Amino acid sequence: MKLSLPEKQNRNMETTQDILKSERQQSWREDLRKSMKAKERTSRERVKMLEQDPHIRNKNHTEVNVGLTEEMAIKEAQRCLDCVDPTCISGCPVNINIPKFIKRIEQGEFLESAKVLKETNALPAVCGRVCPQEVQCEASCFYVQKLKKDPVAIGHLERFAADYERNSGNISVPEVEERNGIKVAIIGSGPAGLAVAGDMIKWGYDVTVFEALHEIGGVLKYGIPEFRLPNEIVDVEIENLRQMGVKFETNFIVGKTSSVDDLRKEGFEAFFVGSGAGLPKFMNIPGENYRRIFSSNEYLTRVNLMNAANPDYDTPVFSGKNVAVIGGGNTAMDSVRTSKRLGADRSMIIYRRSIEEMPARVEEIKHAQEEDVEFMNLNSPVEYFADENGNVNKMRVQKMELGEPDSSGRRRPVPVEGSEYDVEVDTVVVAIGVSPNPLIPASMPELDVTDWGTIKVDKDSMQASIEDIFAGGDIVRGGATVILAMGDGRKAAKGMHEYLKEKVRNK
Amino acid sequence: MADLTTKYLGLSLSNPLIIGSSGLTDSVDNIGELERAGAGAVVLKSLFEEQIMMEVDASLREAYQNDMIYSAKSETLDYIDIHIKERTLSAYIELIKEVKNKVMIPVIASVNCISSAEWVSFANQFEEAGADALELNIAILPSDENTGPESIENTYLDIINRVRSQVKIPVSVKISPCFTNLAMMVRKIADTGINGLVLFNRFYTPDFDINNFSEKSSNTFSTPSEAGNVRRWMGIVSPRLKCDLAASTGIHNSEDLIKQLLAGARAVQVVSTIYKNGRDQIQKMLGGLNQWMDEKGYNKIDQFRGKMSQAETSNPAAYERIQFMKYFSEIQ
Repeated sequence: MKLSLPEKQNRNMETTQDILKSERQQSWREDLRKSMKAKERTSRERVKMLEQDPHIRNKNHTEVNVGLTEEMAIKEAQRCLDCVDPTCISGCPVNINIPKFIKRIEQGEFLESAKVLKETNALPAVCGRVCPQEVQCEASCFYVQKLKKDPVAIGHLERFAADYERNSGNISVPEVEERNGIKVAIIGSGPAGLAVAGDMIKWGYDVTVFEALHEIGGVLKYGIPEFRLPNEIVDVEIENLRQMGVKFETNFIVGKTSSVDDLRKEGFEAFFVGSGAGLPKFMNIPGENYRRIFSSNEYLTRVNLMNAANPDYDTPVFSGKNVAVIGGGNTAMDSVRTSKRLGADRSMIIYRRSIEEMPARVEEIKHAQEEDVEFMNLNSPVEYFADENGNVNKMRVQKMELGEPDSSGRRRPVPVEGSEYDVEVDTVVVAIGVSPNPLIPASMPELDVTDWGTIKVDKDSMQASIEDIFAGGDIVRGGATVILAMGDGRKAAKGMHEYLKEKVRNK
Repeated sequence: MADLTTKYLGLSLSNPLIIGSSGLTDSVDNIGELERAGAGAVVLKSLFEEQIMMEVDASLREAYQNDMIYSAKSETLDYIDIHIKERTLSAYIELIKEVKNKVMIPVIASVNCISSAEWVSFANQFEEAGADALELNIAILPSDENTGPESIENTYLDIINRVRSQVKIPVSVKISPCFTNLAMMVRKIADTGINGLVLFNRFYTPDFDINNFSEKSSNTFSTPSEAGNVRRWMGIVSPRLKCDLAASTGIHNSEDLIKQLLAGARAVQVVSTIYKNGRDQIQKMLGGLNQWMDEKGYNKIDQFRGKMSQAETSNPAAYERIQFMKYFSEIQ
């Protein structure tokens, strides 16, 4: 099934608001609104996602969320009021046309719903699973803003539509323009790189994605566990891109295997740097270099990418019975829940602030709690100890209390003097964030970077200080979400497209 | 030509003139120049935990205002203080390593912390990086009316004991004179077994503009008149203590240097005079010391060190004279 290019690309004179208004006035939308009174819609409770039982799923790596059935999806879609002023759209980093895709679900036109998603979101099956909707689209939902009720389950519905399309076999492949012979290189095959690839190939460019690892997908594959985002879903999206003509080169480190200059000599005319932020960070406390203290990067990559949990694979990973994970974000949740699946008796989260302040998705925290993860909030490790073989066997933890707010307004964690106590551990995973991949900036000293090590870009075009270089995702932001990375990718694709058109004109 | 060598914190110095912790000692190139100019040792610019916290606050403000830097849900942003601390610490450790690779003179790392746990963590890392010694820049202004003197003193001692228990390199502490009983405090510090004591730290002084009612700093540089208090206490405590003593504040020329040595110091730390007069001041001061030693017939500093201390001087009471009286004032 072929998609035509989105109509709004041709409607240069209309604003987005005008487009949304005219779409809302289409007869099928009006009919749907008339089919059920607003009062009935708002009286319904949010449909609960079907999940595996926590005590079964904490021993397997199968996806926790089973998914909505068609009936459940339609029922949830009916809660959406198709607002005159859809604030949910402004809550989405890529401005998905949320009411339109939800109303297609209500209509029973699930494939049409997937088409709407793909107008702005290259990887809806991914985003429906990993976006922090509770601070994005769903936080802006009318239900939350005005009615103080549970929002429409936008994320679950997005996942439903994308999964339906994938399972139906009728995956919409966007139309591709005639090839123009201009070669573009994309460095990194994570969400930002895949988003750029998706757009550039549509516009007729000769696109090659260079990936350092042996698998394509970046953090989608090595960082996010199977039980949250099955790799096969990522593979379907990648296969789509292959079908459109995108080429992938794996085990290729730009900056080492070849430099950007080398690639220029091979005829590449523009570059997108989406090399991410995968440099692990530690706390630099005594004993942190004992054995069996991992970065979350290493721990998750071994399991997610290298199949360490599968006895048929050679990759080892030590994951003991008393596992402590330091941190409070999604990576920490992924790590601690992985440890449970690897057989830990105690899987602990050590986080220095309260549970309400943890940056992890609300759903991940809930799932972790259900899976018997112990949350030791207002605690922070100060030292590790080891046995005679150098393997960590004890962690000294200090209690924290919340002090004065820092300049972000969050209360600063302050150590409680004299409150230290010891906890037995045999594995520690440090998940306190990462730094940008230093390789590309180091191989191009003339590239402007920030003090953070991120690449400086123009906010609108994502163009870097070197004119044929564009960048987006974590290498620009330091640490962000999949959807933000994709948004950057799409913006960079537009910027790159304009740059190349100009370059061709001036030849 | 006299022998100007001395030992300080167990380190052999070619002369007793140490460049104190300041902007003069914050880079490899600067320190290289100071060595060429003849400095006996350097104390690296202090690593301030407070400065790290200020950088964290500035970074958080920037991150929350700039939607291109991190997202609110970023784990990295959540632990940005750890990241910045690590980055700052890494840069300081790199500085220690580079300086040690470049110069032959002793390099003393300097640190000022707020939370007691950080002192130890930083100290360990400086030692690993190759610092020859560590100077603890402990500066607690007793401005909190609810915190008693004993509590403040115990904080000093706690920090010193913790750090000393964790590192093998020599440790000194730079203190201010703001103690209820300075002599007692100095004794307590010395009894910890610390290798050295630096008298005195010089605090930033706030000032204000009376025309636009705004705050400003004052007295960035010391003046020679500030050396008097250092001299007094050097003279009083040097005979009593086993640990090495260094004089700091108001030492601007060779006469100031000689006086501190006579009072009992093993070394002096200078900053302001180098800022004001340039690196050539080092040779001027050492030249003056050398000349004076030749005139007086001294071959080594040990021959006269402490000669004017309270224990050695013919008028020990002078050290404890605090009131101006007719018989002691030259002004009638």
